[in-house]
Amino acid sequence: MSEKNTKHKLLFSERVKQSYNRGDISVWLMMFPAILMLVVVSVYPFIWIFKYVAYDYNGFVAYFVGFDNFKRVLTDTQFWGSVVHTFEYAILKLVFILPLALAAAVLLSQKLRGSSLFRGIFFLPTVISAAIYSMIFYFIFASYNGVLNGMLNAIGLIDSPIDWLGNPKIAMISVVIVAIWGGYGNYMILFISGLAGIPEDIYESSKIDGANAIQTFFKITLPMLGPMLKIILMLAITTSLKDYESILVMTGGGPNDRTQVMFSYIYQLTFGSDVNSSSVQIGYGAVLSIVAAIIIAIITVIYLKISKKLDDVY
Amino acid sequence: MSSKNTGAVKSVGVKIGIGCIYIFLISVVLLTIYPIVYIIMGSFKDNQELLLGGLNILPKKFVISNYVNAWNLGNFGQYTMNSIFISLSVMIITLLISSMAGYCFDRKDFFMKNFIYGLMIAFMFINVGSISLRPLFELAVKLKLNNSLWGVIFISAGASQAANIFLVRSFMKTIPKELDESARIDGCTFFQIYWKVILPLLKPILATIALLSFRSAWNEYILPLVFTMSNAKLRPLTVGVVSLRNSGDGAAAWNIMFAGSAISIIPIVIIYCLTSKHFMSGLTAGAVKG
Repeated sequence: MSEKNTKHKLLFSERVKQSYNRGDISVWLMMFPAILMLVVVSVYPFIWIFKYVAYDYNGFVAYFVGFDNFKRVLTDTQFWGSVVHTFEYAILKLVFILPLALAAAVLLSQKLRGSSLFRGIFFLPTVISAAIYSMIFYFIFASYNGVLNGMLNAIGLIDSPIDWLGNPKIAMISVVIVAIWGGYGNYMILFISGLAGIPEDIYESSKIDGANAIQTFFKITLPMLGPMLKIILMLAITTSLKDYESILVMTGGGPNDRTQVMFSYIYQLTFGSDVNSSSVQIGYGAVLSIVAAIIIAIITVIYLKISKKLDDVY
Repeated sequence: MSSKNTGAVKSVGVKIGIGCIYIFLISVVLLTIYPIVYIIMGSFKDNQELLLGGLNILPKKFVISNYVNAWNLGNFGQYTMNSIFISLSVMIITLLISSMAGYCFDRKDFFMKNFIYGLMIAFMFINVGSISLRPLFELAVKLKLNNSLWGVIFISAGASQAANIFLVRSFMKTIPKELDESARIDGCTFFQIYWKVILPLLKPILATIALLSFRSAWNEYILPLVFTMSNAKLRPLTVGVVSLRNSGDGAAAWNIMFAGSAISIIPIVIIYCLTSKHFMSGLTAGAVKG
């Protein structure tokens, strides 16, 4: 018995030594920080959310409320309003940002003089913090001393100053303008890298066949861009549904919730807004976060289905 | 219609076409750089000129006092130091973690490797938004990390690690395994191979990751906002500028906010001008492969 035991021990220590030599222990030591981060920053908050869906929690005390939070979602017009605004924002943004980015990418892929300088300038906004450029536009949009109203006034387009961020009819457009300014460079670069993958000789042969620029674009560039286009579209859709940082800075969801999107509403529920910091309802925010994630997942699945259908057509 | 035979005698139509293209591109350029020029030039105007408005791009009177005031009275000296500290720490931590993990993922089989990797990729897509900052904030309070910047730093590094590990792992495939083999025969351990052989070869991708992680940490807003709500001393520049506007005396302090915004923009724009290629290649590498 004792002999067997020592033999086993020997084997164990041998095994430790062996695995040390093979680098197994080093692997775990080297993987440890990444795994720790994964568990703490990603997995733990995800599980935490599910714990609080059944509580009314204001940051200090939590009361068990059962399914009340879920029932409240159904009748929460403010939330469903924010869902509508999210789609409005995303659609407006995509309708302008994608053609602009694609046009810039196609033009800069021709061998124009100075195209790398143009490219560098167009990408510039994306290296600046969304919070800071939202502040810059906050100054530009200011109604009485803002430079935009000043310009429009000087040209004679308006008589009285426009309240770009305070007028419920205009605020959404202002917010979208800022989103376009801050983001089109990203998509331009992605389009350019997609265009670079299209072989030159296809263009050569279409030129020989006498295709003009517009025909070339619709018959060759767009279809050849297909797979890359799908990835870019997917990226564009999901990111625009998740945008809320610059809205939070510029309007805080106002005026009258007109620019309130899903995630800005959830942010204000979990951390309080500037206007009302006592209205923290974390449990309800957790439920809405899950609902929002599901909405985005549904949109993604629908998009994937549609883009697959388009594949069959080609 | 550009090539050799027609190059000398371009038709009028082509010339007009190219002219239109340049008009389009240049107007996009003007719209793109105007806000940046506006804020930087505006930071040299005195407060009266700013509050009056007006269309001048250049300041009537060129004053430097906005920066002095922002730095000394507006706490922006502190904010700048915080931004630098956060960004550099996030960058270093990200480089270490992502290079080690990327190396292990590519070169070794270990227990639950694919599960861990899949989990990382999955959490790149599962995004529940700002609510996940709530448990992290409460955790930081419990661990007494909320009185330092380390909470912000670890979360910022952790939230973006998956994409960076992904980049390193795919770059590892271009480094031949024979190098590891010969180093092992020479007596290097697994870690020594990483430190002496692999790390120097990873330089190109690590340069990209360094830039991207520095930029995202420098520009981060919501995360430090949440973590410094009750602790103004720890704010980085982004939070500092916005919270000055939200504070009572902010409305009249346009000059301080302009200077603060400019302090936040100028370093990252300079870095970008020097290394723009890396920024762009990093973006496409992440998007195409991810």
